[in-house]
Order: sequence, then C-alpha cells, then structure tokens
Amino acid sequence: MMTSLKKGLRSGIVFGIVFIFLMLIGFINVGSNMIGDLLGNMENLGEEARLPVSNLLIFSGLFGLFTGINARKDEGDGKWWSGILGGLAGGLASGWLVWLAVWGSGSLYMQGVDFRTYLPNLGPERMRYLLFYSTPEAAANTYLTYFILFSLAGSVLAWAVSAVHGLKRGLTRAKESVTQWLDTKTVRQIFDNKWVLAVVMITVAALLYFLPLAWGSYWNYIMGTVAIYILLGLGLNIIVGYSGQLVLGYVAFFATGAYTFALLTSPAPHGIELNLVLAVGLSVLVSTLTGLLLGLPILNLRGDYLAIVTLGFGEIIRILIRSDLLTPLTNGPKGVTNVGQPNWFGQVFSDVNYMHLLMLLVLAGLFVAKRLKDSRTGRAWIAIREDQTVAQATGINTYGYKILALLLGAAFAGLGGALFASRNQFTGPEDFTLMVSVNVLCIVIVGGMGSLPGVVVGAFVLKGLPELLRELADYRLLAFGALLVLMMIIRPEGLWPAKRTRFRRLNRDPYENGAAEVEV
Amino acid sequence: MTQAAIYSRGITKCFGGLTAIDNIDLIVPEHSISSIIGPNGAGKTTLFNCVSGFYVPDKGEIHFFGQPIEGFPTHKISELGIARTYQNIRLFSEMTAIENILVGQHTRMQSIWVESILHNPRYLREEKAALQQAFDLLDFVGLSGLGDTPAHNLPYGAQRRLEIARALASQPSLLLLDEPTAGMNPQETAEMTAFIKNLRDSRQITILLIEHDMRVVMDISDQITVLDYGVKIAEGKPAEIQSNQRVIEAYLGPGAAALSKKFKRKKTHYA
Repeated sequence: MMTSLKKGLRSGIVFGIVFIFLMLIGFINVGSNMIGDLLGNMENLGEEARLPVSNLLIFSGLFGLFTGINARKDEGDGKWWSGILGGLAGGLASGWLVWLAVWGSGSLYMQGVDFRTYLPNLGPERMRYLLFYSTPEAAANTYLTYFILFSLAGSVLAWAVSAVHGLKRGLTRAKESVTQWLDTKTVRQIFDNKWVLAVVMITVAALLYFLPLAWGSYWNYIMGTVAIYILLGLGLNIIVGYSGQLVLGYVAFFATGAYTFALLTSPAPHGIELNLVLAVGLSVLVSTLTGLLLGLPILNLRGDYLAIVTLGFGEIIRILIRSDLLTPLTNGPKGVTNVGQPNWFGQVFSDVNYMHLLMLLVLAGLFVAKRLKDSRTGRAWIAIREDQTVAQATGINTYGYKILALLLGAAFAGLGGALFASRNQFTGPEDFTLMVSVNVLCIVIVGGMGSLPGVVVGAFVLKGLPELLRELADYRLLAFGALLVLMMIIRPEGLWPAKRTRFRRLNRDPYENGAAEVEV
Repeated sequence: MTQAAIYSRGITKCFGGLTAIDNIDLIVPEHSISSIIGPNGAGKTTLFNCVSGFYVPDKGEIHFFGQPIEGFPTHKISELGIARTYQNIRLFSEMTAIENILVGQHTRMQSIWVESILHNPRYLREEKAALQQAFDLLDFVGLSGLGDTPAHNLPYGAQRRLEIARALASQPSLLLLDEPTAGMNPQETAEMTAFIKNLRDSRQITILLIEHDMRVVMDISDQITVLDYGVKIAEGKPAEIQSNQRVIEAYLGPGAAALSKKFKRKKTHYA
C-alpha cells in the first residue's frame, strides 16, 4: 500500500511539474490546438479563431490519465484498491501543483501582469484560454477536479489492462515467439529461397519506383534530404562505426564534394560547366584526397585528440571557403548559384527522377558498405575499434586501415555533397556548419554504431521526423529533443543495433542449429 | 643442431630512470618450450614486449630465425611469424569467437577492399578457406559450437583458449604465452599444460612463456630463464634451476635460501 502511495505521489509530482512547464512555455495551447485540428471543432468568432474549452479539458484529462497509469505501472499482482489509492494520490499531487500554478499565475494576470516579458509565449489570449475564460479560482478548481478524476480513471484503466493480460509480459513473450519462429528451419528456408527473395525484391523495387510518383514534390524534397543524409551516414559509419575513429569534422568532406561539383558545373565564377558524371567523379576524388591530406598527419592520434583536431578541420574548411583570400575561387559568402542539374538526353531531371537516382545511389552505398563490413577489411576495422594495440599485434597495419576508412568515408561524403549541391542548385558556406557533422554523427549513434539498417532508420528519424513534426511549429525542436532523449533511454544501444554476422560451418546442413545446443 | 628461434644479445630497456631489463641475452631454440620466470616486477613482460615489438629496446639486438627484428612495428613482427597472448585477456570482445580467429588470419590473407566489394573468385576462395581454417582452429582449442558467441560472453577458460586460437591463426613459428594458466584451478591448469605440450608437438612451433605456476613451468619447459630486477640470474634445464642458489634467494630471500640448503640434505632422503 505504501509503495503504491509513494509511486502515485511521485508520478503525480512529475506529471504536475511537466504540465506546469508546458503551460509556461505555451505548449498547452498548442496541444489543445492540435486536438482541435483533430476533432475539427474550431469555432469562428469574428477575427480570430477561438478554441472550445473542451479541447483543453481533453488535454488535461490525458495528463491525468497518464498520471494514473504511471502510478499503477508494473504492479500486476497488487490489490485492486491499492492501485486506485495510487491513482488518487497521483491525481491529488499533480492536481494541487497545477491548482497552485494556475491560481497564482491567474491572479497575477488578473492584476494586469504581462507574462510576455519573461515568457514570450504566454500572451493574454493564451492566458485567458488557460483560465477557461473565467476566474482563477474557478479554473484552478476545475483543473484539480479533472486531474483527480482522470488519474483515478487512468489507474482503473491500467488495472483493467493488467488484469486482462499481463500486457508487458505478454508483449515480450509475443516478441520472443516471433523471433523463435523466424529462426526455425522452415521459415529460414522460405526466406533463403531464391523465388521468395525475388518476389520480395521486386515488390520493394516497385514500391521504391512508385512512391516518388505518388508523394509529390514536397515529400520528394524531404526524402531527398533523408537519402543524402543516409549516404553521409554510411560514410561516417565506416569511420566511426567500423573503425572507431571519432571524426567530428565530417562536414569538411561534404563541403569539398559540394563545392567541387558546384564550381565545375556552374557558369559562374569559372564557367567550366563540365560533364556532370565527370564532375561527380571529380568531386568524390577531391573529397577522398582531402581525406588523405587530413588523415596522413593526424590518424596517429587517438580518441579525444582526434575528435578535437578533426573538429577544427571542419571549421577551417568552411572559413576558408568564405575567406577573402579564396573568394575569387569560391565566390566567398555569396555561394555558388546555378549549379549543374542532371539531365537525361537534354531533358532536365524532375524531382521524381532525382529521387530515383538518389534511391539507386543509396542502395549502391548500402551494398558497398555491407560487403566491406563482412570482409577481411571490415573485420580489421572492427578489430581496431575494439582494441587498437592488439589489432596491430595481430598483424593489422592499423594506420593504413584507419586511413582507408577515412578515405572511403570521405568518398561517400563527396558523393553526398555533389548531389546536395546539384539538387539545391546552390551551395554556400553556411550549408556546411558544425551542425552537419553533429547531425550525421547523431544518425550513426541513434541508429546504432556500425549498423547499416541503423543508419537508414537514424536518417529517417533525425532528418525525416522533424519535417513530420512541422505541425508543432515553434515546439518542433522541443518535441524532437524529448523524442531523442526518450529513445536513448529506451534503446541506449541504438534504434537498430548492429548484429554480429553468424557463420555456418561449411559442408553441413546450413539450417542445422549447431550452436544453439551447446551450453555456455 | 637446431636453429635458434630467438637469438638476442644485450637487450636493455629503461623507463625514465628505471632499468626494467638490463643487458639480457636470450636464446630460444627452435621447437622448444622455454619459460621465463621471476618474481613480480622482474621484467618478464617487458622482455616479452620487446620481442613482440610493443617496446623498442634501448640497446641490444633481437634476431628471429636470423633476421633482426628490433624496432619493427608490431604488425610486421606478427607477419614474420611471432604471435602472442596477453596477461589479462585482450580479445576483440564485441566480435564473435569465429571473427576473432578470422582477424588472427589477417596477415595470411591477401584480398584488398575492392575485391571484397566485387566478390571476385580469388576473394571468395580465400574467405572460404579462412572460414574453414577458423572452424578447424575452434575445434582444435576445444570450443566447437561456440563460434557465434561474442567473445565477452565466453567463460574465462574459453577466453584464454580463444586467445591462443587467435594467435595460432596467424600461423606463427613462435608463440609467446603470457601467463597462460593465470586464474585457473588445478584441473584447468593441468588441461592447459597438456594443451601447450600438444601444441608444440602437433604444430611444430616454438613456445616461449611466462608463468608463475612452478609445477607447470617445471613440467613443460625444456629451458628456463630466470629474471630478477631486470637481470638474468640463471638459465638452464628445470632440474638445474630448481637447485640454483641465486634463484632460491631471489624468490625466498637469502635467509630462506640458507635454510633450504640445510633442508636439501634431508630432502634426498624422501626422494
């Protein structure tokens, strides 16, 4: 009983504080707005659309529900009333906190204090809405009642769910049985069958072909960005994920690729207007050379030192590009415009063609990265990541392999840069800030170090999700940050962690489960 | 006349003001099992590190089958045919057992990164042969069926054996074992001792080891080198070392050594 009370109180305090925080930054209004959008119940009162109070009540109610559910969490075998008690405690705690906050801020507002001085998102209109267009006391009491009622409802709901089925346990069991089923002989034989594989491949190919046609140009633009970031992620994954060298200046190679391509194909400032395929090849080459120039002197450094040096290198490239010294060469801060666009026998690529090209390149990149990983080279890289000293004593030329990783990573970045410049029709020094390096590194880490599907998932989450969250307007980054924190708590090893390759003994039935039977 | 696997003269290595090993001559005959013993801090591991290239000796020369190797980077030395294990196990812990052995074969493979993308016949042939050999080695060290287990999930004894398998994968002609039986119970120690003997006989390699367990050392060594404070104080067959006064002094102190002299007269009685 005491534990459920304690749990309820804790959950109530946490959710109460979160609610107050969201209220102060004006997110409660945005949330209610979204519910309004969802229900389609905007009332039009003259000039400005006014939201019905019910939406705010729904929003607060949801909070109460979470409080209750959280208070009851992981307590499948407790008595039914102890959970209710927890829910009640949670509701009371959060309710009173919110009561205080609403009553306090409401009274101040009534006395004419303008919160916008400190909290720019809490204007009078929003304040009035938060007070249900009535007095602070009445509003505070409504919140309190609501939180208690819904917290109770939440705890009952949680109890009901856990009573019907140990939900969490059930989920785990279901997941286990699916994994086991996927590992059985029959299923594996199905997936290894050539025809099945062909059908799957054709379906995927068709999907990839038709999706850009259906999406429209806005989504093609966003997905194009995601694809370019997948390429960048694949490259950095070779450097950071495989060989374990923390390179923070990855943007330098991206910038080199983009600028090489732009300067070679744009009419100004040089007017070279080279053949595009050749220009892409040269961009990759120049990026690779940049990688070599950077790698030769610094790859003897380890860990933090390497990170700092490469960090500086990334910034140096950007500053050089916009410097007065190189302005005749690079067009300085103005950037390069009218970058060459790919064409097919004179016909300029549409956004759909472009998307198809990017998809092909991403698939090719995945193929290359996958084959590298499973080879002598890939094993050498991973050995270096695990223990560099021992790797060298095992016969691996660590310096050479680290340089190779950097070169291949830089080549990927050069390709990405060329595509980026070509698609945007523009490239300027401000496209290549430190944030690009950080973003790509985040893709590798959030996806799962050294994991190829991880890079893809990571790129979608980090570059695609912010676009999906555009609905949240100013709160996009807040929600995004919260999501990232949540993800790292739930899956610290990454969204799709790397799996170790499994080797099967030669000249044996490949579906025999030899390894599973041996006790460890 | 057997050739010397390791022939070294006057190896000296200092760290700051401390002379870790001082003017050591070490000769390891081919196909022998030689041991280096000595109290803690005597410089055994430093000597090992000089031979395997982790340290560059300040003075002296080391010849490996007649070829001078001092100052070579470790991967070159590994390529020439010296492999080692470590006092505290250092496997590639996130990699599976098989992958660890495959990494060990690195120097004996030729394919480059382009080939791994193209999957040309030579690459495929080489990978297949390497995998076959890795499984054979896994069986040889008695870890059959644990190939897909990540190294850090293996039990302690298995990790030791996997480390030896990784070292053997580079087809060395000289194997350096740094305390192979450390932390093992008597049963495991006996197994490891038999294993090392079998290793030398079946693979025709030379083994140099550091060991603290005197029963193991006396049992398997053809030749023992004793270090104390960085200086070689004795060298010879197990029986010679057992009765060497300086060795007993180094281990037990001069008083105990004197005592043991008296005791020895009686000891013949029991023997």
